[in-house]
Amino acid sequence: MITASLNEYLVISGVLFALGFFGVLLRRNTLVVFMCLELMLVASTLALVAFSRFNGTMDGNVFVFFILTVAAAEVAVGLAIIVALFRLRQTIQLDELNSLKN
Amino acid sequence: MTLPSAHPYAFLALFALVAIAFPLLLLAVAQLWFRFFQPPKPSATKNDVYECGVAPTGDSWIQFKAHYYLYAILFLIFDVEVLFLLPFAVTFTTLPAGALVAMLVFILLLAEGLVWAWHRGHLEWK
Amino acid sequence: MSPDYTGLFQALRPETSLLFGALVALGLDLSLFRRHTSGERLNLALWIGALAVLAAGAHVWFGPHGPIFGGVLILDPLAVATRLGVLALTLLTLGVATAARTPRNPAEYVAIILFATTGFMLMAAAQQLLLAFLALELASLSLYVLAGFDKTRPESAEAALKYFLFGGMAAAFLLFGFSLIYGLTGSIELLEIARQLTLQGLSPLLVVALVMVLVAFGFKAAAAPFHLWAPDVYEGAPTPSAAFIASASKLAGFTLFARLLWPGLRAAAGNVSTLHGAPGWLPAVAVISAVSLLLGNFAALAQTNVRRLLAYSAIAHAGALLLGVIAAGRSGPAPFFFYAATYGLATVGAFGVLAVVERTGSCQKITDLAGLHRRSPLLAGCLAIFMLSLAGIPPLAGFFGKFTVFAAALQLGGLAGPAGWLAFLAIALSALALYYYLIVLKQALVAPPTANASRIVVPTLARFTLMAAAGLIVLFGVAPSLLLDLF
Repeated sequence: MITASLNEYLVISGVLFALGFFGVLLRRNTLVVFMCLELMLVASTLALVAFSRFNGTMDGNVFVFFILTVAAAEVAVGLAIIVALFRLRQTIQLDELNSLKN
Repeated sequence: MTLPSAHPYAFLALFALVAIAFPLLLLAVAQLWFRFFQPPKPSATKNDVYECGVAPTGDSWIQFKAHYYLYAILFLIFDVEVLFLLPFAVTFTTLPAGALVAMLVFILLLAEGLVWAWHRGHLEWK
Repeated sequence: MSPDYTGLFQALRPETSLLFGALVALGLDLSLFRRHTSGERLNLALWIGALAVLAAGAHVWFGPHGPIFGGVLILDPLAVATRLGVLALTLLTLGVATAARTPRNPAEYVAIILFATTGFMLMAAAQQLLLAFLALELASLSLYVLAGFDKTRPESAEAALKYFLFGGMAAAFLLFGFSLIYGLTGSIELLEIARQLTLQGLSPLLVVALVMVLVAFGFKAAAAPFHLWAPDVYEGAPTPSAAFIASASKLAGFTLFARLLWPGLRAAAGNVSTLHGAPGWLPAVAVISAVSLLLGNFAALAQTNVRRLLAYSAIAHAGALLLGVIAAGRSGPAPFFFYAATYGLATVGAFGVLAVVERTGSCQKITDLAGLHRRSPLLAGCLAIFMLSLAGIPPLAGFFGKFTVFAAALQLGGLAGPAGWLAFLAIALSALALYYYLIVLKQALVAPPTANASRIVVPTLARFTLMAAAGLIVLFGVAPSLLLDLF
């Protein structure tokens, strides 16, 4: 059985976070941006679980429960906003959303 | 036989190598087969939308009703609820009465959400 | 130590009454008042909401103090004052909502305002990372919905989407920062974190965590260079939502921020009082504050849309508030609390005036306010009080807010260090700010009305709300000790 060290978990979590972050910055489809946001949240849960194991306290694991809930709530609100926007504008491409500029 | 005690991740590298090589090999064989035995013959039927058993009508690119998403969200709420109920249930006998009250409030709030969605007619398929 | 649920339920009575109010408003709207007009349903929901807020206020005032549930919540003077301030701003927002266009689902609108208020209340008292994160998210998610509540206008949905994307990113940053802090200290309790951090130095991982947390709060507080969402949201969101986002959320957010930084991460604060300060989060906050002050004030000069102008002025005020947070380490939280609370009052009032003007047609451009003194002297007078308070003219509350924050910043080390220079910069830019507030007032008080402009009838409740906000601003300007004595 091979066990990874804390640093390896942290590196993976950092890479996931960076992937999500650049996805948010670079992608133009709202739904994809949305998934990238979720990826950023998941990256933090990985770090929390790893820390929880190596610190020997349960706080991190409990934190993850709540993050999953928050992520679900965020999905609900985000999708609702996207659906509302699509009904009015017939597009969810971010670069076509420019009615709020002067 | 024991593996040589190289780096603990050495086998992962080997695994990755095989995982990449194997599909490449199969793809190469398929390509050869295609080259020699199956020259392309496109036809209208071949390019049709796939449908199982009935004649296809219309395009395969259709928009799904946004209504699906409401059901998914409602499901998700109660899916996530289990996440909190399970640890609560496991330690139930050691918890004080206050924890039970807190949990009841939590479930009450979720139920209120369901009742609201029901009354607003979000559970009816239109 | 067994958890003290009785104490917890007692301490959470204000939140309970808010939630109960929201559920009653939803329930009555679905059952008894189903067939009524949406105007009647809005009034019912608003009255229930107002009662819930008042009940919550009474519970805060007479409720318990000190650490609750093993220190997860702390009801110290800052928490109590912030809670009362948030409730007052919510009440005013509900008053503004009486004047604005009736939303399609009035009970839901009020219920979500109450949910957001619940989030703010918990933010004010949270002393543990998990609760802080959950409270912040409860408030933020409610605010996204409020921003996009007007389903007939594409601008509203677009504002909500932008707010959501930036806010979601901020939440992810905050969470990553929290997870690193938890990893470094092995605890999510602020006091334990503080104790652990004094034992260890400024490690690279802690620096990453600090950067993440600061970026997140920069987004949430609309401080430059993380302010991009603010003008769009202020412009697109329904007017009461914009008022709420600009006022109560600022107050609760800055309280949470200050609590996280000063008691929690004090060991990593660094120093900005002298020229060669120590590294830490203080220099970073100082940079964000300076950029916000400069960008907010200069960009506000170029605006023709009154809401965008308020948004850029909000960015500038966020810079000044950050200065107050910097000074809080020495002078305590009273200065920045006073600033945030009175700023919230003036902003709610300004948006309230816009909401009433909107009843007769669009109110986006500054020129849409032309001749307000003829169309409704009351509105013009209230707007003058709000704008002059934002500009910091004595004897209004905005002046004293600026005065105490700048004085506290100057006490840090005089003009010998960046904190003092920052206070000096903020004072200089206040003069610039006066110019763009006066541009708005010139339209409202001096310019003649356009040919087709009619008189504006101010509804009774809206009149009462605006006069209450204006009265409080004058009162706190004349007698600031009324607020400061809460500490």
